[in-house]
Amino acid sequence: MLKLLHTADWQIGKLYGQFEPDDAALLAEARFAAVERLAQLASVQGVHMVLVAGDVFDAQGVAERTIHRLFNCLRGYVGPWVMIPGNHDAALSESVWTRAARLGAIPPNVTVCLAPGAVQFDALRVAVLAAPLTQRITHSDLTSAFAATDSPAGFHRIGLAHGSVQGILAEGIDSSNPIAAGRAAEARLDYLALGDWHGCRQVDARTWYSGTPETDRFRANDSGRALIVEIAAPGAEPVVTPVVTGQYRWLNERATLQVASDIDVLLERLATFGHVDVVQLMLDGETDLAGHARLRDALAQTQGRVRSFTADLSALRIAPTDDDIDALAADGYLGDVIAELRTLQGSGDGKAETARDALVLLAGLLRDRCTSDGGAS
Amino acid sequence: MKLTRIRIEQFRQFRQPLQIAGLDPGLNLFTGPNEAGKSTVVAAIRAAFFERHRSGSVDDLRPWGDASASPTVELDFETGGVAYRLSKSFLVRKRCTLSSGAQQFDGADAEDRLADLLGFRHAGRGASAAEHWGIPGLLWIQQGTAHDIRDPVAHATDHLRTALNTSLGEVASSGGDAVTDKVEALRNELLTPANATPRGPYKEAIEIEAGLAEEIAALDADIAAYRNKVDRLAALRREHEADDAEKPWLALRAQEQAARRKFDEAKALGARLGEAQQRARRIEDTLALLHSQLERHGTEQSEVEQRRAALSAAEDKLTAAQATAQQWQRRSSEAAARHDAARQALNRARQRDTRATLARQLDELTRRRDAARATLAQADTEAGRLRSARQQMAATELRSADLATLRAQQQDIRTLRLRQEAAATRLRFTLDDGRVIRIGEEGLTGQGERLLTEATAVTLPGLGRLDITPGGADLADLGRQEAALLDRHAALLARLGVGSLDAAEARLHIYMQHQADAQTAEAALKARAPQGLDALRSDLAMLEGRLAEVTQSLARLAGASDDGLALPSVNEAESQEEAARASAADAAKQRAAADIAAANAQSAVDAALRELRSAQAMLDAPERAARLAAAQRALNEALAGQAVAAADIDALTAQCRDARPDILQQDITRFGGSAEQLERSASLRRDELTRLEVELQTAGAQGLDERRAERARDHARAARRAAELRRRASALDHLLTLLRSHRSALTRRLQAPLQKHLDRYLQLLFPNAKLDIDDQLFPGAMMRADFNGAESGCFEEFSFGAREQMGVISRLAYADLLREAGRPTLIILDDALVHSDDERLARMKRVLFDAATRHQILLFTCHPENWRDMGVAARSLEALKAA
Repeated sequence: MLKLLHTADWQIGKLYGQFEPDDAALLAEARFAAVERLAQLASVQGVHMVLVAGDVFDAQGVAERTIHRLFNCLRGYVGPWVMIPGNHDAALSESVWTRAARLGAIPPNVTVCLAPGAVQFDALRVAVLAAPLTQRITHSDLTSAFAATDSPAGFHRIGLAHGSVQGILAEGIDSSNPIAAGRAAEARLDYLALGDWHGCRQVDARTWYSGTPETDRFRANDSGRALIVEIAAPGAEPVVTPVVTGQYRWLNERATLQVASDIDVLLERLATFGHVDVVQLMLDGETDLAGHARLRDALAQTQGRVRSFTADLSALRIAPTDDDIDALAADGYLGDVIAELRTLQGSGDGKAETARDALVLLAGLLRDRCTSDGGAS
Repeated sequence: MKLTRIRIEQFRQFRQPLQIAGLDPGLNLFTGPNEAGKSTVVAAIRAAFFERHRSGSVDDLRPWGDASASPTVELDFETGGVAYRLSKSFLVRKRCTLSSGAQQFDGADAEDRLADLLGFRHAGRGASAAEHWGIPGLLWIQQGTAHDIRDPVAHATDHLRTALNTSLGEVASSGGDAVTDKVEALRNELLTPANATPRGPYKEAIEIEAGLAEEIAALDADIAAYRNKVDRLAALRREHEADDAEKPWLALRAQEQAARRKFDEAKALGARLGEAQQRARRIEDTLALLHSQLERHGTEQSEVEQRRAALSAAEDKLTAAQATAQQWQRRSSEAAARHDAARQALNRARQRDTRATLARQLDELTRRRDAARATLAQADTEAGRLRSARQQMAATELRSADLATLRAQQQDIRTLRLRQEAAATRLRFTLDDGRVIRIGEEGLTGQGERLLTEATAVTLPGLGRLDITPGGADLADLGRQEAALLDRHAALLARLGVGSLDAAEARLHIYMQHQADAQTAEAALKARAPQGLDALRSDLAMLEGRLAEVTQSLARLAGASDDGLALPSVNEAESQEEAARASAADAAKQRAAADIAAANAQSAVDAALRELRSAQAMLDAPERAARLAAAQRALNEALAGQAVAAADIDALTAQCRDARPDILQQDITRFGGSAEQLERSASLRRDELTRLEVELQTAGAQGLDERRAERARDHARAARRAAELRRRASALDHLLTLLRSHRSALTRRLQAPLQKHLDRYLQLLFPNAKLDIDDQLFPGAMMRADFNGAESGCFEEFSFGAREQMGVISRLAYADLLREAGRPTLIILDDALVHSDDERLARMKRVLFDAATRHQILLFTCHPENWRDMGVAARSLEALKAA
């Protein structure tokens, strides 16, 4: 029986500009950790071979240190690693791969397929049919040569490619690097290991996207996995088992605040987030000043608890109640100002947001005043 | 508050008590000149209220030099419906009481009660100062301070605000200003106060963001360049591999070699063609030589023939020439003979003509000689006549000058006689008949007269003698002159050979006649012999000579006379002779020509004969036949060689034409150049590949993408921060704007009552004007509309007079406000409004009168005439003092 570990889209060298630098650094670090875990997994699972279906690196121009670090991460598994370049690290005439080779960073157990063709592993009786990207973007199906590529009789035929399987991904997206559906069957492949799609996904009985081993975006479903592929014999249908490899959960939360208790629900939800969560929260609806203050405190707490937290409150309206204003001791013209800001929030243009910010600021100042007054008395 | 009575004692100039009672609840007018004590009354009221009775700082209140005095002020007033009496003594006898009905306060209690009532404070120590005076400080206007309003208002602000709030019954924001200040401070951390441009951390964030964006752009450019190089590298590699596989220049080099070989072959062909052509040219030369040789042999033969023919032709010509020459000899002789005959005829004709001419000349000369002889004879006669006339003339010649002298002398003599007569003694006598006297020798009778010019003796017969000597001294002189003149006259007459002037005149007449005769004779002679007689004589001699000559010539010709023959005329003979001479000359010339032609023909014959002989000799030379045969053989050989060479040339030319060496040359250049080009570009490509590889390795080592990602991460963060600060800045800015506008709206609302009072007075002073009141309840900008249009200005910018007026009406407005709030109001004007013109003062009087309907006003003035129309009686301080 042949046992493979299928992974892809490591995107090494990716940084996360949308987050604060500390969080971003940890998330970038997590990608190396994921590769180390993959090596660990391969060793533990005793696979015969690891297939990496492209986009090992996030860009061609990564630092030398990054190249060395990556190949060091592979030490946990001494069996063969077979890699192909993807669109991010295509095998151009000068590429991250040629640099890696020049640096002597690639260990001998790593086979990088920089040219299309079959790589035979006689001991394992495996022929890997690789379709590496040699250009950043191609509009022809590089796997079309698989069918015509012969392999010795009795060898497993394993395809390794990077691109979009036609007809299964979202329509209308310009599918560069296309791969024809049904390629595995057509080319008599035992298994076709694909990369490019960051979520784990089965295409057909012999074709899978493994997805990225560490989630790197909010919209990638079922990412942070790798696939254990077991093939009883050449021609046998593979048994594919997804394994969670990701460290962080990427959560995209939305909430609408309408009644006071909505805040309670939201706060409960926020309380469930822990240190492995990368959370993006979008709020809309309306709340009073007291609710806003609670929300603010809760967001600050969440910020401290989770790996990374971003909250977009631009669609949330603040509606101070009379109680709010009493509580702030906003007498005289301050009360008038609060009333006007409340009205301005309803205007359609950019003034609404400014008015809301102003209101929050004013409320903050007044609350501080009350607190200091209270403290003094 | 209303004052009803004032009593002052031992107070400055009022050493004696002064009492002002029965004060009006409205306007009270106090008048008095300077130093009358108006200000002292005011000072007394102020001291009574403001100064602590125990104060040691009030020495200025006591009368001058009176150390024992206790300045005392006693005031009766009413406020809030309650009547009070205040009595206060300073310095020596310090005392203070405030009583109201049964109630009485003493000392400090009384003073504190008073301060509460009226709204002022006492100084903690020392003399009371402006900041303590509160409401009275505002309403009691000291001399010359009406225009200064800011400080008094400030000192009374609390009272005024309280009055406003009370009247509104509204609570202003308790901490609004503090919040506003805080918001402003926060805003100004991010935005400049003036222009709202970013500053501080906000500006910094924007700059950081921009800086990172720039770095990213630079990195993007680097990355793009890197990618282009990678693509270029790929392209170069492909080309390089293709070249390596194909080596296209090798094929081109082979083609070049082939072309070069062909070209060399073509070049060899060309050389062979050249050789063949050269050979053909040599054969041609030989042929030409042989042909000419053979030709020369042929010519020698024919030349003998030709020479012979030429000789016979020359001989023919000689014969003809000789015949012609003979003919011309004959003709020439004949012509010469004819010419001689004609010449002789001409001579004879000429002689005949000469004779005839001479004969005619002889006749003519004879006639002329005869005429000349006659003329000469006549001329001789005339000459004789002329001679005799001239002789006569010479005999009778008298010069007209001499005659004129004679005439003048005669005249002078007459004149002298007359003068003598005039000077002479006139002796008139009338003698009786018969009686005679003598004068000198002369006897006189009868009657007459004598002039006596010299001493004369008159003899009176019978009587004696009278010697009469004429008087006149010059008479004698005149006599002498006359005598001299008579002598000269006589001498001249003698010289002229005449006896008298008349004779001279007659002789001149004769002379004139002779002269006319001579002239006539001379004219006649002139007519006969214009050139003179000698000319006539030589003419005659000449004619005689010629006559002799002609006669001689004629005589000489007489012998050849052949007049009998019929001779042609000379002209005819001449033309005949001419024709004959021409004919003879022509014949002679022809004959000479014919002779020369004959001689030439002879020499031609000689030459032809010589040539014929030499040609014949050549033809007869012995080795000539052998040479001729040899030449013929050589000719045949050469012709054969020429044919071979021509065939060779044709063949080679065709081959050369087919080979096209020029095109082959081009092929060599083309193939060689192309190969070189390809080799060079391949080499350049190798170089570029190497260079690119090195460049890319170097650039790749920089990890550009990763660096860009880092910058992008930093930039995203900077952009977030800038956006946050932008939002915060605009929120703060917005908030500040709102706070300020609401605050000012509130202020306006709060100040409305004050504004109302102020407007009331303002309309009386400046109709249609509008005066703002600022936060500090202080008059601010005023808008006025007058005939100059609208104008606006700040209180501080007004003229002193206007500021004074505004100061007064503002205080009146404050008084109204305070009164509505139930605070005591007393208005004191000490010599106020002295800077107002009549018109303004009139308006201010309406203002004051209106105010006096609500407030008690004490008005002190040194110009009572200005205030007569206030409807109240003026109290004179002097009158009060006297009372």
